[in-house]
Amino acid sequence: MRKHAARGILAATAFAVVSCSAPAPEDPGAGTIGVAFETLQTEFWVAAIDAIRSELDARGMTMLEAIADGDANKQLEQVRGFIARGVDGIILVPRDGKSVIPMVRAANDAGVPIVLFNRPPDPSSARSVAVVADNLAIARATGEFLCEQARASGERKKAAILVGDLGDQNAIHRRDGFGEAMAGCEDAVEVVSRIPTEWNQEKALAGVTNALQAHPDLGLIFTSSDFMLPSIVSALRTAGKYHEAGEEGHVILGGFDGDVTAWRMLADGYLDATGVQDVFFESEASVQALEDLRRGAEVPPVILDEGFVIHSGNMEEVQGRMWGARVAQRATRGGRGGA
Amino acid sequence: MSRLRSLLAGHWVALLCVVLVAVLGPVVPGFSSSANLRNVFSSLLPLLAVAVGQTLVLITGGIDLSVTAVVALASVLGARVMTADGGLLAGSPLAVPAAVALMLVIGLLVGTANGLSVSRLRMPPFLATLAVMTFVSGFAIWLTRSANIAGLPEGFRLLGAGSLGPAPAALLVVGPLALGVHLLLTRTVLGRWLFAVGGNARTARVSGVPVERVVLFAYVACAVCAAVASILYTARLETGSPVLGQRILLDVIGAVVIGGTSLFGGRGSVLGTVYGALFITLLDNGLNLMGLSSFAVLMVKGAVILAAALVDATRERLERGR
Repeated sequence: MRKHAARGILAATAFAVVSCSAPAPEDPGAGTIGVAFETLQTEFWVAAIDAIRSELDARGMTMLEAIADGDANKQLEQVRGFIARGVDGIILVPRDGKSVIPMVRAANDAGVPIVLFNRPPDPSSARSVAVVADNLAIARATGEFLCEQARASGERKKAAILVGDLGDQNAIHRRDGFGEAMAGCEDAVEVVSRIPTEWNQEKALAGVTNALQAHPDLGLIFTSSDFMLPSIVSALRTAGKYHEAGEEGHVILGGFDGDVTAWRMLADGYLDATGVQDVFFESEASVQALEDLRRGAEVPPVILDEGFVIHSGNMEEVQGRMWGARVAQRATRGGRGGA
Repeated sequence: MSRLRSLLAGHWVALLCVVLVAVLGPVVPGFSSSANLRNVFSSLLPLLAVAVGQTLVLITGGIDLSVTAVVALASVLGARVMTADGGLLAGSPLAVPAAVALMLVIGLLVGTANGLSVSRLRMPPFLATLAVMTFVSGFAIWLTRSANIAGLPEGFRLLGAGSLGPAPAALLVVGPLALGVHLLLTRTVLGRWLFAVGGNARTARVSGVPVERVVLFAYVACAVCAAVASILYTARLETGSPVLGQRILLDVIGAVVIGGTSLFGGRGSVLGTVYGALFITLLDNGLNLMGLSSFAVLMVKGAVILAAALVDATRERLERGR
């Protein structure tokens, strides 16, 4: 048994050495794109990967999918796997701006063009194109709209912001964008609570509950992502403060992303505004950037999605560009079809 | 015939790996390429380091859920010492050795806390290590406010990305570690005590085995192995992260159980764990290269690990019925 064991360890070692000197990879053919997402845990990412799939399909390209489930090391393995498979390009949603750098470098070394979707890398010598929402500007515009709502109410509102994972640049920009809007709104809003959520719904629920206990007169809440809206609704309901806009005691609510929940809450009159990332623009721009890179064309290192703010006043006009509205309408049609 | 049977009994997972390669190689483009097999091997090594440590704990009949937290805390503290972005020893030639030593000490400390909780305070291993995991993970996130730490020295990064000839540099760390634990289990009194404690702690104690110290050793060794893995994971990503390794627990326990180590204690081997980790890594890699959706990959992996656990439970039941 011991001999077998020692032989086995030697065999495993030999596997390492042999595997590293085997023949070169085969080419799977043109038009295969590896799409690696950090997670599919929220509707936004599901909508984004579906939009990228549609865009690639429309251009006759094949998509390979890999989800790292929040594990940056796994994502590095997946990127290396794509390269070994001989993909023609990679679209990547990294976990954060720092751990993505070795992945971009691996793609650079292999000569595979790489586009980072929705999350930019930290500064480094690694070359990539990032297609990102202008989180700062969209959050600022959303904050400014909420500020106007507060002013219109005629009373100075106490406000809370749900902050995302501060390892994520998007979370930082959204926090800062809202902060900039509030800095110009001190006559109408006082920010009394900054709730760290690390993109976690349970932490969001606990944080809003605590904020409502500390400040029962809280009058405005902004969440850095719409996926935490259910946590806010739950805390407000428990506190007896969940009312439609225009009703006595309505807490002004604002969000970011433009997901299905936000769309339904807007339509029902509970959400005042949300900053929308234009997923369809970002998907199209990512695939186009890959094609341009493959052709050797110049592509700027950052392509900005300017997004927009949706509220009751412009809903009819811009809902077609809100991904949450489209997903909700598709689900409604699917439901009717099924019935 | 009986010789063939005994050979297969010890190496059936290795046979499964060969079958997996034989099946996926011709149908999955790039799977058998040298670049991909090199990827498989460099992914295998850090996972194997954690799994070897977990093997020791499972052999004693325990379980260590805190390995992921050790990976995370060691990662951020080591990175804080050596990062060029304001690290305590930034730019010093001692930065890398000091950071590596600190990372190993983190393993030692967390392992001691686990071991004492289980052996002296008689806490159930599941609860003790879950509580330690929660505390240590929270501490890592609090220390960094969720921010990652980059700017790690080149000398450290080579541990993750470097190679010595055709072999990854990490093999120089994990190879001796696995061999050392294998020799410990098969050729030393302490190794026999570990199996004795896992087989029947009461009988072991009556026979003069220092059960508490043996259990303490298993948890300390396990956490130190996790710290070794943290060094490799951090070097590969060139980043200290407070959530590093957060999702590897199922792969770690899956690798050990697929390799034949019993969840009920008293049985296991490093060689089996090597095979189990290789199988999990090959499966993960192959399914991803096939372009299956992530949900399908998770379901297949979950089903394989469940099947291995069922085999273990059935074997245990049959042996108790004898």
